[in-house]
Amino acid sequence: MPSHDVMPDMDLFQPLQIEDALALADRLGDSAWVLGGGQDTYGWLKDRAKTAEAMIDLNGIESLRGVRETADGIEIGALTTLTDLADNALIKERYGLLSSAASRVASPQIRNAGTLGGNVSQDVRCWYYRRGLDCYRAGGNLCYADTPEGMNREHAIFGASRCVAVNPSDTGPALVALEASMVINSVDGQRIVQAEDYFVGPANDIENTTALRTGEILTSVRIPNTWANATFYFEKVADRNVWDFALVSMAVAMKMNGATIADSRFVAGAVECKPRRLNDVENAVRGKSRDETTAASIGTLASNGARVLAHNQYKVPMIDNLVKRAIVAG
Amino acid sequence: MNPKVTRRRFIKGVIFSATAATAGAGIYIANAASSRSAGAVERLVSLTVNGRTRRVDVRPQETLAHTLRYRLNLTGTKLACNRGECGACTVMLDNIANYSCSLLTHQIKGREITTVEGLRLEDGTLHPVQQAFIEELAPQCGFCTPGQVVSAAALLIANPNPTREEARQGLSGNLCRCGAYDHYLNGVMRAAELIS
Amino acid sequence: MTFMHIGKDFVPPDVEGKVTGDAKYAEDFRREGMVFARLLTSPMPSARIASIDASAALRMDGVIGILTADDLPPTLPPANPILASEYVTYVGQPILAIAATSEHIAENALDLIKVEFERRDFVVDPLDSLVEGGPDAYPEGNAMVLTAPEGDENTALVGVIKPVKWPAEEIEKLRRGEEPDGTFTAGWEYGDLEGEFAKCDVVVEESFVTAGTPHQCMEPRTSMVYWENGKCYFHASTQSQSAVNNGLAAMLGILPDDLVIINENTGGGFGSKGTSYPTMGISGNLSRLLNRPVQLRITREEEFYIGIGRPGMQGWIKTGLTAEGKVAAVDLIIISDGGPTGQNSASSSAGHISVLFQPSAMRLRNIPIFTNTTPRGAQRGPGQNEMAAVLAPIMDKAANQLGMDRVAFRRLNAANSDSGIYADQSPVTSAFMAQAIDKGVEMFGWQAKASQPRRRGNKLVGVGVGQGYHGAGGYGYDGLVRIHPSGKIDIHNGVGNLGTYSYAATSRTVAEVLQCSWDSCEIVHARTDKHLPHSSVQGGSNTIFTHSRSNYVAAMDALNKLKEIAAADFGGTVEEYSIGDERVFRTDDSSKGMSYGEAAQRAIELGGHYSGQEYPEDLNPITQRAVTALAGSGLIGAAKDNLERKGTPPGEIIGFMEIEIDADTGKIEVTDYLAVADCGTIMHPQGFSQQMNGGGVWGIGMAAYERHVYDPQNGLPANVGLYQSKLPSMLDVPENMASAAADIPDPFNPMGGRGIGEPSQGCAVAAMTSAIADALEGHLFNRIPVTADMIVNHVADNSYGPRSLKLNTF
Repeated sequence: MPSHDVMPDMDLFQPLQIEDALALADRLGDSAWVLGGGQDTYGWLKDRAKTAEAMIDLNGIESLRGVRETADGIEIGALTTLTDLADNALIKERYGLLSSAASRVASPQIRNAGTLGGNVSQDVRCWYYRRGLDCYRAGGNLCYADTPEGMNREHAIFGASRCVAVNPSDTGPALVALEASMVINSVDGQRIVQAEDYFVGPANDIENTTALRTGEILTSVRIPNTWANATFYFEKVADRNVWDFALVSMAVAMKMNGATIADSRFVAGAVECKPRRLNDVENAVRGKSRDETTAASIGTLASNGARVLAHNQYKVPMIDNLVKRAIVAG
Repeated sequence: MNPKVTRRRFIKGVIFSATAATAGAGIYIANAASSRSAGAVERLVSLTVNGRTRRVDVRPQETLAHTLRYRLNLTGTKLACNRGECGACTVMLDNIANYSCSLLTHQIKGREITTVEGLRLEDGTLHPVQQAFIEELAPQCGFCTPGQVVSAAALLIANPNPTREEARQGLSGNLCRCGAYDHYLNGVMRAAELIS
Repeated sequence: MTFMHIGKDFVPPDVEGKVTGDAKYAEDFRREGMVFARLLTSPMPSARIASIDASAALRMDGVIGILTADDLPPTLPPANPILASEYVTYVGQPILAIAATSEHIAENALDLIKVEFERRDFVVDPLDSLVEGGPDAYPEGNAMVLTAPEGDENTALVGVIKPVKWPAEEIEKLRRGEEPDGTFTAGWEYGDLEGEFAKCDVVVEESFVTAGTPHQCMEPRTSMVYWENGKCYFHASTQSQSAVNNGLAAMLGILPDDLVIINENTGGGFGSKGTSYPTMGISGNLSRLLNRPVQLRITREEEFYIGIGRPGMQGWIKTGLTAEGKVAAVDLIIISDGGPTGQNSASSSAGHISVLFQPSAMRLRNIPIFTNTTPRGAQRGPGQNEMAAVLAPIMDKAANQLGMDRVAFRRLNAANSDSGIYADQSPVTSAFMAQAIDKGVEMFGWQAKASQPRRRGNKLVGVGVGQGYHGAGGYGYDGLVRIHPSGKIDIHNGVGNLGTYSYAATSRTVAEVLQCSWDSCEIVHARTDKHLPHSSVQGGSNTIFTHSRSNYVAAMDALNKLKEIAAADFGGTVEEYSIGDERVFRTDDSSKGMSYGEAAQRAIELGGHYSGQEYPEDLNPITQRAVTALAGSGLIGAAKDNLERKGTPPGEIIGFMEIEIDADTGKIEVTDYLAVADCGTIMHPQGFSQQMNGGGVWGIGMAAYERHVYDPQNGLPANVGLYQSKLPSMLDVPENMASAAADIPDPFNPMGGRGIGEPSQGCAVAAMTSAIADALEGHLFNRIPVTADMIVNHVADNSYGPRSLKLNTF
């Protein structure tokens, strides 16, 4: 078993128009790898833990970049880099939650190359799976992490179904909180999927983290005005402050009515294979003020129903703590 | 951005399923260059590196770090992880810091590539960052240094007068195992003074 | 003493190349006809290799050849073989190398090679192997029963592998924090242990566990090798251009004369490149077999597998304090995780305690256990720094029970110049730890910080103190200086260049002795065919002390020769001559003299010992060859360090740290850090600061982030990459770190200095674990690293905890 390190032989297609990219994606099907910023691509390929015969590089398609104002909010090209998202004045002003989340991804260089589309479509980080083992997610019939001795400190406390990996995206929870929708194109046309439905857990599809199908390309993300200029809270807890994926993250949008919370979206990351809406918390804080009393009253609403593994018990208090912090912050 | 291949080939997967197993599942992918599909890229690519434009023969899947080191012999750009986890391979693309191990050379056509070798002036005068890093004895073992130099240069282009905290953020994508962070930060702050 | 050069900053000659990218490392060299080698490594932690079929790979276009264990002399376990033969004992162990005209052809070829393995039982935790019925890492057993005394961390153990087992109840005792009874294979003792414990008012007993950690040098151990006219030219990544020569020559089956090691720069070593290492044997032998230059680029993943790591420890300690706060007795048990090679630093761990707390009686009992994890070896402050990490909060607990200030307690027990250390209570050259502590207390503002409230908003504040120690220097190496007729002064040394710049700082001793301009000097190093003397490894914090001495004696030899030559021409005795402005002249009449260059020309004419035709017989053969090669080309100063000796030169540092713990997230922020060294004269202030701060970063990494993670079900390592190894980033360490020194010269170094590269980590990790316990009202994790999840669990009172003493599964 070598420790592979060199990119394997592959063809490379560099379409300049989205139509050409869609035609290629259709023609090449699942033998092709659709390439955005590539930051979750080259490791897989160099390791030869996954292979493809060709890459369809979207970077030449200018229409996939940038932030546009629309009648009902904004539309962000899927190829917009995380740095551009974090620095974009419009997003910072109206949807600071998303700029905060984007600015916490990985490292500056990765944010300079990595894209929003890639960040929400990246694969799970379970190290067993990344090593190329034949686990459920890889088409096999076992899970290495969900065992009494599995090294599963980073794994899920919710929504496990054979696979216990979490979705590692930092921007995903923010987009779910903002009620974003994902614009997906293929040669057969366009479909719009709510961010909440874009991310899928293993019970629905154990081999994919998103609703994207072969031949489809995520072209943009739309964020409605619903939560524009709301009160936001974002926090990512990771081992190191650079590179590392979240142990738990929390993206919160709140509409205030004077001193009380009129409506809110609480979404946790890295606790499940998709961003986790905390509906019970949202219901419990409605009409309450942002203070210690409210925070205390939440108790373990966020963590109720968690199923812990051998090494991830800490995620239970951590998610509860982050909810409380979000309530009292600021 | 659909980094998924549903027909996955987990070539290492076989090893734990039997008491005696075979390493290497025997999958060999034919050389793409000899069986190039219609519409796929040509290998010859025009690259502008450190102000010089040249035609280079580059495999479709080749990373920029490999092209720089093994085709253009620009060995200042270091490979320390080849996975975007350290920053030793950092170069500037149009003045923005990027990991050259995690970009395809074919994606860079038409953009200005600046490596550590390109920061010195033609007459040999050192870039202010290089000068300041010498004065502050910023490097230790030196293997991460070219990446730190390029990240610092890119930072000072975007923000010529950074606070120490901004400098720290700007260089945070460059790992230094020797732990010379403090001295690198001193170097960035001194370079900013030299520039102004 | 007032120095011209020592204690002043300068620009080491290799710095500019590092910032311009001109500095060359092993992977940067190319050679006509160079081929690329890649490794096939073991996918299993333990197996027998039943068969290897590389025929399909060898038929591929572009594949040039293969190297397997059949091409090499056999290696007896537990020595780490160049390539595995019958057994593989860890994931990632190299089995064969294949060479091709391009790296990607070589990689494709690897996938065509079929290896049949027969799986064997494996083990990743020493206690799991030590317990009755537990699996053994080798077919022969799990422990080395020594048949010869143990050497330092880099030397192979001599003995036989046998199974050693303890009853399950004894293992459970250890896990409960009680003293277990079982077989040990090593240890030492001094003083009346029982009698001293009987005098104690406070006795603290704790078990502990420390993680193994990969070195993860930024430069993987890549090499490029070619053979020409019977000589092997080896571009290597090493910590010395002298200490690796004999080992590498032996690996290649050649004489050291026929080996040219080229090593201008090394991208980190930290103990993992201190001697010749097995990977060198792959490229060296493959190049000879193919008669082609071979580059063997080591990937990051491979560097984890073969780049060795710090051994982990599972242990128990009992420490007793008298009513006055004197540490009377320490009883220590260490079960070491030696990986498949069994390297063990327990004696150094115990030695650390013997130096810094000066117990009246002490005992170490130790057994290294083989596991099927990555091979282990020396890593920065081997034994000492991980001991410092778990020791600090335990000693704090004892001091707190006496109601004694934690710093005052350390000061009371600190070593001085008359102290004895280690098992034999042997002397130190000098020690001024009390002065360093006093300086630190004032600079850090210890009293105010230690008495501040322990809550700041929702953060828990912790203030910690810790100490680092490493034996910082050796004796008896050679120095070699040549003065050219042009007046230029060459200072030859074979100390490696890891970026501590001590190879250059110690070379300035020559300029100091010869009272010459630094611009007139050139450091000759980096290639053994530049005729380098017998030098130490750049490691073990020892360059500053060791090579100030060796350069001093060579320079003194040159100085005497200058005076002898001048006296021969101008009359009188050498005592009547002085030097200045790079001239040697009569003290009473400076017009009667000559320049250094003129003297060098006269040395050539005079021959004999003046220009290296003759040399002292006690020079090492490596130096003898170097002197012979330089003979007749100038005035040669060459000598072995026979200066007066007195035991161990101690490198000691005290660290002070303030942290804030976020109880909700478990994140720790270091808000203040100061380290004060007792290391004699500071020879190179910038280099000193680099080592103090760099060690501080390493200490933070060890305290809170870095570890080995192995899946106990399959023996697979999780942290093969930098991302998973959690080396601290710039945002995980404080924006500013401060350092200072007692700055009292060591009388046994003519320049006064001692090294601090290793204890700079130990004092930081100890200060941090001390601060963590302080912030958590004295809670002891007794384990490193202390990660965010552990803190959150502790605050939440979760049952999950470290009492299992599990190793490699952090």
